[in-house]
Amino acid sequence: MLIIDGSFGEGGGQILRTSLGLSLVTGTAFRIEKIRGGRKSPGILRQHLTAINAAAKIGQAEVVGASLNSQQLTFIPKKVLAGDYSFAIGTAGSATLVLQTILPALLLADGPTNLILEGGTHNPAAPPFDFLEKTFLKQINRMGVNVTLELVRPGFYPAGGGQFKVNIKPVKKLLGFELTSRGEIISRRARALVASLPTEIADRELSFIAQRMSWDKSCLHKEIINNSRGPGNVVFIELESENLTEIFTAFGERGVRAEAVADEAVKEARHYLAAGVPVGEYLADQLLIPFALAGSGVFTTFGLSLHTTTNIEIIKKFLKVNINTKQLGKLSTTIEIA
Amino acid sequence: MTNKKYVVIGLVGTTLDNGAGPERWEKWRPTVSLCRHENLIVHRLELLYQKKFSSIVDVLVEDISTVSPETHLRPIQMEFNDPWDFEEVYATLHEFAGNYEFNPEEEEYLVHITTGTHVVQICMFLLTESRHFPAKLLQTSPPNRHKSEPGKYTIIDLDLSKYDEIASRFQQEKREGVSFLKSGIETRNKEFNRQIERIEQVAIASESPILLMGPTGAGKSQLARRIYELKKARHRVVGKFVEVNCATLRGDSAMSALFGHIKGAYTGANNSRPGLLRTADKGLLFLDEIGELGLDEQAMLLRALEEKVFLPLGSDQEVSSDFQLIAGTNRELNSFVTEGKFREDLLARINLWTFRLPSLKERVEDIEPNLHYELEAYTRRTGNRVTVSKEAKEFFLKFATSSNAKWSGNFRDLNAAVTRMTTLALGGRISLEIVEEEIERLKATWYNPNQPSKEEMLLESLLGKEQANQIDRFDRIQLLDVLSVCSQAHTLSEAGRELFASSREQKKNINDADRLRKYLARFNLQWQDIKNISEDI
Repeated sequence: MLIIDGSFGEGGGQILRTSLGLSLVTGTAFRIEKIRGGRKSPGILRQHLTAINAAAKIGQAEVVGASLNSQQLTFIPKKVLAGDYSFAIGTAGSATLVLQTILPALLLADGPTNLILEGGTHNPAAPPFDFLEKTFLKQINRMGVNVTLELVRPGFYPAGGGQFKVNIKPVKKLLGFELTSRGEIISRRARALVASLPTEIADRELSFIAQRMSWDKSCLHKEIINNSRGPGNVVFIELESENLTEIFTAFGERGVRAEAVADEAVKEARHYLAAGVPVGEYLADQLLIPFALAGSGVFTTFGLSLHTTTNIEIIKKFLKVNINTKQLGKLSTTIEIA
Repeated sequence: MTNKKYVVIGLVGTTLDNGAGPERWEKWRPTVSLCRHENLIVHRLELLYQKKFSSIVDVLVEDISTVSPETHLRPIQMEFNDPWDFEEVYATLHEFAGNYEFNPEEEEYLVHITTGTHVVQICMFLLTESRHFPAKLLQTSPPNRHKSEPGKYTIIDLDLSKYDEIASRFQQEKREGVSFLKSGIETRNKEFNRQIERIEQVAIASESPILLMGPTGAGKSQLARRIYELKKARHRVVGKFVEVNCATLRGDSAMSALFGHIKGAYTGANNSRPGLLRTADKGLLFLDEIGELGLDEQAMLLRALEEKVFLPLGSDQEVSSDFQLIAGTNRELNSFVTEGKFREDLLARINLWTFRLPSLKERVEDIEPNLHYELEAYTRRTGNRVTVSKEAKEFFLKFATSSNAKWSGNFRDLNAAVTRMTTLALGGRISLEIVEEEIERLKATWYNPNQPSKEEMLLESLLGKEQANQIDRFDRIQLLDVLSVCSQAHTLSEAGRELFASSREQKKNINDADRLRKYLARFNLQWQDIKNISEDI
């Protein structure tokens, strides 16, 4: 049985999610030890338990050690069953991370899948729904599959209770592609969402972005959310280029000024623009698994984070692929899968 | 880590859990927050509430279903007229606990004590400590800075034995208690040490009567006083220690001494007298030689034990006294009951915690530590340090632990011997001569020629006076010693081993028992007869 050291590298929940995802696709049983060994409070937390249970369900897996705070898990999958599923995650934990865990297997399943995911959709600890929809899945859909998303209602921290639907039309074989340049920027947008909070927050965030980015008012979009379970505020900077759309997100927090929140997104966007690479940090992580499954593809991103290098090592344990990284400059690396 | 499902039992916090509108998410609500922890899943939440607060419950139900889809929330209506009334709250929660179907095999229970009035919290704590709720306590607290975080939670197990440091403290306390009861003497006798450990437990935990059995001088009175002092040190008793030997209570004055009298109760009763029972109120009464108590006094004592009230002599007003009784006896109270000398019901009442203190002869290994203790006690008492030379001590102990030493007065004899030796010790040192002299003195005490010895009585009972007198003095002295050994040994072989101890070391075929049996047969004596009769003497 494949043994995974959960304390390796970055030592967090990503190792568990990557292992679960690839175990489902490849049918490889594995045991992970020292789960989240690099964290202050190691072991399985509730959000991980939801991901494990979701993976076990679609993969009809036999699971040992799937309990809260457990530091060891054995996962023996059988055949992946496409179909209709619904998973709910507590503590406003990210529903997008649950999707990330089970998506690879469903992209290559026998038939289409309809998912209903509930929990946090806009959680500071994970990529938000908007990133999935506009950045990640746009690229995934270039690989031959057709994945569509629908946000029923957003779920913010701490109340959670968001919901979105996912429809997945799989393929037999994913096709890799090349994403080494972003092309001309064709659209710039700043969006500020407010739910059950003064709308003035959104106005201040947007005007701050317009000023710092020297953008026209036509780029600013205020969205007032009426159907969420609890209050929330998020601001996005979206840069649509010829080859992809990248999104930079910041979350409003009690006691933090609106301008300071917007400034976080501005800094990330400027960093991206300055580096000149197409693929941002989060997308780089998310593309690794589908590209590895395709067995081909190349993309250019920032310098490698520990998160990314750890992910690469885990992928190599499940798949026989070569993942070559080549540093081009201080802020630019090419990752090639062959 | 546990695979059991967590079930939380808690009350709606009418202030802390209250909240409406989106602002409620910016407030720390204990009941919602405890369902939001990343490393705790509340599988079921039994939420107790009063009807007038059902609007709070409605919001909690909705919010908990969002933040914790894993939680099955069960609102349970529970009415209090006054949630600050201890009696009412306790009774209501007690009834709830009694009717609740706990399934500890599959579920782990947590009693949430952060919400509810302080009285509710106290009652929840008490019911958990008394195991009416087979649960641990759950205490939650708000986050430090960011108000949207769930804060902290602490699970408190009231089973104190689960905590190493606390358990070792208790162990230490117990050791100290045991050592205290033994007056700090490092006794070696297993049976005695076991008894003392039990007594320590009972002394701390129980207020029921204790019966100390054992021969005169075995230390009953000393132990009773120590039990009292230990209880006092542990705040288990507030009243006095009252001690009386029932053999000294005779006739009319016995009633009065124990139960008191009123002025003019009888001729000469010029003043009223509270009596020992009332003096011992909230304290400890030690009645030594309880078998000597008259039947009337026994009846009165029984009532005082059962109902905590009695009638002083000459009074028609009952008085009350709440005391713990320690009774001492060197008699077999069971045979007293058969003979009608002791009330069966009183014996049953005081026979709950019965401890049989062994005689000094049965714990010869404890003579040495007691000798040291007595020497130190003398030094403390008089301020003069007395030591004993090594050979003198060895000589004394050799005799003291041999079968020649009868120790019929038990510790009283040992104490007297040490007192004599220390008094005679010149220059603060007990010499071999002093020990030799003392041994003679002890022998003279134990083998009084005017009084037939126990062995002589045994011989007469076995053979009849006439036949016993026909045995030559030459044989008689040997036979008496053999009988003495036999009466103390448990088996024929044990007696044989002791009697032929020297020769058996050199022999190949050891058959002490057979040798002894043949010797006894010469006098028409049989082992079983000796055992049967010696027990009655």
